[in-house]
Amino acid sequence: MKGFLANTWKHRAHVVLALPVFLILFFIMYVPMTGLVMAFKDYKTTLGIYKSPWNGLENFKFLIASKKIFITMTRNTILYYFLFTTIGTFLNVTLAIAIDQLVFKKAAKTMQTLMIIPVFISYAAVQFIVYAFISTDTGLLNKTFGLSTRFYSTASLWPWILLIVKIWKDTGYGSVLYMSVLAGIDSALYEAAEIDGANKWQSIWHITLPSLVPMITVMLLLSVGSIMKSDTGLFYQVTRNSGVLYDKTQVIDSYVLNAIFKNSNFGFTAATSFFQSIVGLLLMLLANFTVKKIEPENALF
Amino acid sequence: MAKGNKLDLAPSRKDQRTFGQYVLWLILFIFTLFCFLPVLLVFIAAFTDEKYITQHGFSFFPKVWSMVGFNSVMRYGAQLGRSYYVTILVTVVGTLMGLLFMSMYAYAISRKDFRLSRFLSVYLLIPMLFNGGQLSGYIIFTTYYNLKDSLWLLILPLCVTTMNVIILRTYIVNSIPSELMEAAKIDGAGEYRTFFQITLPLMKPSLAAVGFMMATAYWNDWQNALLYITSDNKKPLQLLLVNIQKSIEFLLNNSNVPASVRAAMGGTIPQYSATMATVIVVIGPIMVVYPFFQKYFIKGLTVGSVKG
Repeated sequence: MKGFLANTWKHRAHVVLALPVFLILFFIMYVPMTGLVMAFKDYKTTLGIYKSPWNGLENFKFLIASKKIFITMTRNTILYYFLFTTIGTFLNVTLAIAIDQLVFKKAAKTMQTLMIIPVFISYAAVQFIVYAFISTDTGLLNKTFGLSTRFYSTASLWPWILLIVKIWKDTGYGSVLYMSVLAGIDSALYEAAEIDGANKWQSIWHITLPSLVPMITVMLLLSVGSIMKSDTGLFYQVTRNSGVLYDKTQVIDSYVLNAIFKNSNFGFTAATSFFQSIVGLLLMLLANFTVKKIEPENALF
Repeated sequence: MAKGNKLDLAPSRKDQRTFGQYVLWLILFIFTLFCFLPVLLVFIAAFTDEKYITQHGFSFFPKVWSMVGFNSVMRYGAQLGRSYYVTILVTVVGTLMGLLFMSMYAYAISRKDFRLSRFLSVYLLIPMLFNGGQLSGYIIFTTYYNLKDSLWLLILPLCVTTMNVIILRTYIVNSIPSELMEAAKIDGAGEYRTFFQITLPLMKPSLAAVGFMMATAYWNDWQNALLYITSDNKKPLQLLLVNIQKSIEFLLNNSNVPASVRAAMGGTIPQYSATMATVIVVIGPIMVVYPFFQKYFIKGLTVGSVKG
């Protein structure tokens, strides 16, 4: 203990350097964690989070009683996570390899520049672009193909629309990270493979893909903790928060956002948030534990 | 390019132009169109005649062009200028503050015999695993910190992210030789001087990459603005876009709005081309700046684990 204090004193400059981030994290991230006790309280605006009376599991009973909303949004959150993560990772990796393989380097660079642009457009702006394509009266799709599909009131189309928007927005940028790994592969490996008579596909399969595995693992691992969280902009802005679509588009985060704006159902919302945080934590720990068992090198902590 | 080929150190490059390469080029080209055409449509729609859109819909090849859309953006006049100011202020202050503070933290936890750094690493990691969620954040920021309608709520929540500190830390550990820092100390530089004059300048590539991503996040943030900002003179650009959408929604959902109200709103009913022009005004600056930062992406963004 004495050694520890002496060490800390010796490094007091580093303590000072760490202080601003320490404080910001404390007030912005750590203090709100204590707010999760709301899930077990009968929240009264006038009394605040900490002074409101406890009500045990009342909020969770309420959650089970109106289970249709709860199940729908949890199901949507998890299904979209899996849809976006599997297809997203596959496309990011494929695109990185494809750009890396193209011998027309100048074209590759230009195309990559254009592909990354959508990631820089906010969802508040994206929803207008989506609207230009799918609006009923003026949308490009309806006009081009002479249809009159009412996209904004047809829930069953939205998993597709959201998937396409997500791919459009994130794939270009998502591949950059994998390209940085590909840039680091020793070209001697490829030359050796070529001398040994390997064709393009074989060298991709045996050299390129294995070298991407650590990065893929880290990225998947990082995303597991956010299974219960969603890209709120996608579900709130792009859908124009249209109630008719909720069955296919309501996720936990957009539900909570709506609850805050409507200033209602705080008990139910607090219970949902609590569930969201705890499940996220458990999944993250489980994923890290699994990776540690299989390949300790790739574990996050 | 043709001339350069003769001097190319890899003479086999030309032989590699197989049929397969052209197919690959074509596939990538189609994907590029998929990514870029919607952006192009925004620009075309902004310059399309309003009546043409109402009658024939959005089109890549409109027959009637017009500047009216951009003129009506100017209708926002003072508010647009004010919103630009707020967005730029929040973006600049937030990005610079975040970069400085996060580099300091990253440097501190990367010191080898600093025993507290283990605790600080875990402290950094926990918010990534566990958080209080939007609702309790909202209540605590507005009622306990009393920051409703404060620009601090646009700056602080996006200022520090675990991921960015990890990226900066990884860069310090992997790309800045510790001998440099030790040499500086032997030469008599104090801890602060070593960090600010030796380490920080050498972190430039990763600072550029992280800084650009942070700036984009600040520029594009609509959610915190929608949650916390109420007064007009603190509204950032994104909130203008959200407000346009809300008023369209209002008109769509209330088809029985009395004619007199509609008439009164006459000046503010958003038009298609004007909306698209506003979108351009909002996303434009990033499009212009982005190509200059692209080269830093690959250099700067290398994610590592927070071990040790």
